[in-house]
Amino acid sequence: MLLREVAYAKPESLAEALEILAADDGARALAGGQTLINVMKARAGSPDTLVDLSGLDDLKGIELGADGTLELGAMTTYSEIIASSEARARPILGEVCAQIADVQVRNRGTIGGNACTNDPTNHLPPLLAALGARFTIAGRGGEQTVPAEEFFLGVYLTAVGTGELLTKITIPAGRNDGFAAVTLGVDGTCVVSAAASLNGSARLALGCVDAVPVVLSPSSTDPDAVRQAVRDTALDPPSDVHASSDYRRHLAEVLAVRAIEQAQRS
Amino acid sequence: MTSTTIAPEKTEQQQEEWKGQNVPRKEDWRLVQGQGVFVDDVKRHGMGYIHFVRSPYAHAHITSIDVSKAEEHPAVYGTLTGEEVAALTDPFFQISSVPGANVKDYALAVGKVRFVGEPIVAVVAETREAARDASELVEIEYEPLDAITDARHARDEGVPTIHEDAGGNLMWEGVYEWGDLDAAFAEADKVVKIDELHFHRFNSTPLECDGALVEYNRGVGQWTIHTNNQFPGFAAIMMGPAMRVGLDKLRFVTQDIGGGFGNKITSHPQLVACCLLARKLNRPVQWTEWRTDFHLSMSHGNERWFLETEVAVKNDGTLLGFRTKALDDAGAYLRYEPLGGVIWAQVTPGMYKWQHVRVDFTQVATNKAPVSPNRGYSRMQHLWFTERMIDIVAHELGLDPVEVRKRNFIKAEDMPYTTPNGCVYDSGDYAKMLDIALELVEYERLAGRRAEAAAAGKLLGVGIGSTLDSGTNNFGQSRLINPELQFSGNNEVATVKLDIFGEIVVTLGTTPQGQSHETTASQVVADILKCSIEDVHVRSGHDSYWNSHAGFSGTYASQFAVTGLGAVKGATEMLRDEILKLAGVVFGGVPAEALELAGGGVRMKENHEAFLPFMACGAIINANNAGLPEDLDVTLNCRYVYRPPFEVPDVERKYGNLTLTYAAQIHVAVIEIDPETGSYDIVDYAAVDDCGKRINPQIVEGQVMGATAQALGAAVHESFVYDEDGNLLTPNFYDYHVPHALDMPPLKTGYIESPSPFTSLGTKGMGEGGGAGIHAVCAAVQDALREHGGAIVWDSSNPYHRVWEMLNDPSKGAHVQVSEA
Amino acid sequence: MATSAVPTERAISVTVNGTTYDREVEARKLLIHFLRDDLDLTGSHIGCDTGNCGACSVIVDGTLVKSCMLLAVQADGARVETVEGLAAGDELSKLQQAFTAHHALQCGYCTPGMLMSATALLRANPSPSDDEIRKALQGNICRCTGYWNIFEAVKAAAE
Repeated sequence: MLLREVAYAKPESLAEALEILAADDGARALAGGQTLINVMKARAGSPDTLVDLSGLDDLKGIELGADGTLELGAMTTYSEIIASSEARARPILGEVCAQIADVQVRNRGTIGGNACTNDPTNHLPPLLAALGARFTIAGRGGEQTVPAEEFFLGVYLTAVGTGELLTKITIPAGRNDGFAAVTLGVDGTCVVSAAASLNGSARLALGCVDAVPVVLSPSSTDPDAVRQAVRDTALDPPSDVHASSDYRRHLAEVLAVRAIEQAQRS
Repeated sequence: MTSTTIAPEKTEQQQEEWKGQNVPRKEDWRLVQGQGVFVDDVKRHGMGYIHFVRSPYAHAHITSIDVSKAEEHPAVYGTLTGEEVAALTDPFFQISSVPGANVKDYALAVGKVRFVGEPIVAVVAETREAARDASELVEIEYEPLDAITDARHARDEGVPTIHEDAGGNLMWEGVYEWGDLDAAFAEADKVVKIDELHFHRFNSTPLECDGALVEYNRGVGQWTIHTNNQFPGFAAIMMGPAMRVGLDKLRFVTQDIGGGFGNKITSHPQLVACCLLARKLNRPVQWTEWRTDFHLSMSHGNERWFLETEVAVKNDGTLLGFRTKALDDAGAYLRYEPLGGVIWAQVTPGMYKWQHVRVDFTQVATNKAPVSPNRGYSRMQHLWFTERMIDIVAHELGLDPVEVRKRNFIKAEDMPYTTPNGCVYDSGDYAKMLDIALELVEYERLAGRRAEAAAAGKLLGVGIGSTLDSGTNNFGQSRLINPELQFSGNNEVATVKLDIFGEIVVTLGTTPQGQSHETTASQVVADILKCSIEDVHVRSGHDSYWNSHAGFSGTYASQFAVTGLGAVKGATEMLRDEILKLAGVVFGGVPAEALELAGGGVRMKENHEAFLPFMACGAIINANNAGLPEDLDVTLNCRYVYRPPFEVPDVERKYGNLTLTYAAQIHVAVIEIDPETGSYDIVDYAAVDDCGKRINPQIVEGQVMGATAQALGAAVHESFVYDEDGNLLTPNFYDYHVPHALDMPPLKTGYIESPSPFTSLGTKGMGEGGGAGIHAVCAAVQDALREHGGAIVWDSSNPYHRVWEMLNDPSKGAHVQVSEA
Repeated sequence: MATSAVPTERAISVTVNGTTYDREVEARKLLIHFLRDDLDLTGSHIGCDTGNCGACSVIVDGTLVKSCMLLAVQADGARVETVEGLAAGDELSKLQQAFTAHHALQCGYCTPGMLMSATALLRANPSPSDDEIRKALQGNICRCTGYWNIFEAVKAAAE
């Protein structure tokens, strides 16, 4: 429960935030804190400085473009996404956010924090990968935007480097999406997840089977083809107390089919 | 959401009394306002916060400890090491006979660590944060040893010894044999052999973890221990001798306790560390156990293997006898163990008429957290085994599990029933309970529901589970573990007094953790004193400084409704008689028989105008007593010790009555398995309870519900799983998934009331019977798999991945052989 | 080490149940510890160390949060509501009364957090469905009751 000593800054502008982050290798952005504070409680990680992003209005809000593109500020909370009429342009977003943990966590946890943490048990990395989301990263040198394949690099590791911040996530238009997961009890810790999007070609992302979401494009939405596509990725998922590698590999196939089926229905 | 309840029809006009009513709880007023006083709420000026440095190794020699850097931390008040503990205290008294008796257990690790999370050094500082900061400065060097995590191999050739003083990893063993096994197996048509069954490790994880605030008064050499330990009497007899002081030096104070479920009985090692630090540093010290600490180190439920089981059975399902080798994985220390090695015998035959039983019981040490009582302590494991045997026999012989149960149930007309080992089941009607449970889930419709589920791609299974909640221990059973022990019987204390202004004040020796003792005690008192429960003030919590406790005081083992309320009743009746006697004098020599209590006072039966309010009685005795007759033996302050009627068991035959009352539970679970994932939902559930007379039905039902929820959590997700190196893989609520709101299935409840003939109120202890849910889920999983590979459920823990494995490969289930006898 | 420009302590001003408290706190102090240890508001509890149990749930600026996943400095300037503020004098709130009437608590340790979650629910949704009640209480662990009576209590308070 007891954190190591830490300095705390609450910048009022993005530039100020980037400056503090750049000045100190040990500084970390504090978004909703629903993962980071717990990591600090366990002293599994102890930043020197926390840079609280809650004062940065630039990082908040949801905008729906005329072409149906959604732009979500990195500091948008799950609850805001669930409640947002704009976000309903891509209904799966709110549906999956509503399955994250519980009300309290959804009230503080943010889409940017979820993505940047890239804990394999998080729902949003595979979902965002399946939806073809693009991630805008700001640094003192300017901005860059990367797709999911370049954003998620490892467990707790993304393309957001030292001195940088994820500012927004852009999701293209589309409606035919699906998501399926096996969790410990309802909405508990995730064992395996799968997200699918059928807008144009089929795009599938598997969660909890590797350090990053595993993205694949099955040749068809036929269940056998989907299963084969999952098998072809030669997954080597981790074994842990909740699932053996074999069980995860099997669930990946089952859930991939279910996510595709939901996408077909939607 | 709680859809249906089946209750017995009321056959007679209920008498106007408080007992039997759902009066609101007295405890709630403070608790809903956040005004309860839990241990971490207690503060003292200048107190220091304790942080324990814990072992990262499951098994290692400690080669050096250096606390100098920690002590230099500016906010640190001091430290305590195992070396100091070993100098200042003696090892805790061991319940076991040899070899377990030779185990040396101290407040902190001495020379060696034996499980991950074992406290090694305590650091005390000005703030919680600083104590933890400084604990990171403690330097400990280890020489790691191989860990033993599988009890089945704890005695293999060449494995390391965990306690050198015990000469090996065997802690305790004993053979229990009753009846005539040879005759039973000769009479049998079939013998069903089951190679291995495993009851897993979990506990009830009370939401509040352990803790204490300890003060030392060097003027009188006394410690005041504000704690949430739920059995201070036990803590005292562990701590006093170890600390080389009399029990008068240890004052235990408990107030509100945030759940216990047995898990808060064995905090005595940490309490000793707190006491030593309070004395050493001459300041109050405070210890808060955090969730991860609790999971790593505190009170896991007994993990038990049943090996080489053989069941003697007739072709019609008549159960004759069984033999098995029970193997308890006690973890690294015996803190309440090996009592689990005998407690199960309270319910030897379960609800059934087995006559011939042999259990070779062994406890071994492993490099895991110590086990100690958990709701349903030791009986739950044995009853799960009993129910598993029945469902396996039914499966193998192609019989209906309902019919096998009904054929073998002890019948209502057989009560009181003496079991093969001399326990006396007081009352009950198990067949009737099963009928109610089956009616609640509409058992006759199940074939149709099974087909409906199949059409939806689901496998439906139904399972029955039963438990006996044996309450009010005869502590004489400890002698079956160790004949040298001088414990027997049981007791509990209550005091009831009438104060100056007529206040009725009750103290209890108990340490409730949500069991509503203030409320039910006030119901019993109000009925006897013919007053309102509003007039009865029950002091919450326990304080061993005063005379409101006895040797076995505490709240554990399903006994308050018998021992606690027995004491309340006894003390209140004494007070009633004193009030009548006093009033007789005040009224000028009226005999007590001519008086009665009514409306908050005493009146003459024949003349209600002649009325003496309690206030007057209290005032006369306490503050205006000049001129009362010299021989008037009235204090209006009555203390009663309830002592249940027990004999010392026969140690040679391991025979005798081990508990006073037997509440009963029968649960039925209906589940639907998703065969593609192994995940499953409980789609229908019935819990039927019989705990004799119910003082407050709503409170009883609350206990039934809570115990059920704990069982369902344990059946599906809750498990303390270790890896080969002895690391706990489920040390927090992320990985140890307890049921949340969305996990709860629909629940239907029913009850019957079979009053106990052995208790003064007809009550039975209750609250621990939820284990039936584990048994029912196991049976339901097995039923669902029957036509899908037919795997036999072998483990009490059935998370989704295990169900999927059994579906995929039925050989992952138990290995069972049936032979013609 | 922390750069000297960014402080590890801060002066904060937090209004809890209508009373404003000005305190100097370490940045690392969790809001729950600030409430319990610094302000002596011990009604909110701690039941885990991973943000799972919800015993520490409070309402901050109208939003239900777990106060163990929020630093006290993050509550600077905020209006915090805890269980101690639910009753109006001696008048228990409808939810508090319903919890008693439906035996929705046993040990009472989870109750303060549970009440705050239920309070937040009924403010946002005065007539929740059974499913909405369950969903709203998902973040609060109770080990005593099995939740069934809690659901009933919230339903009764809503009606």
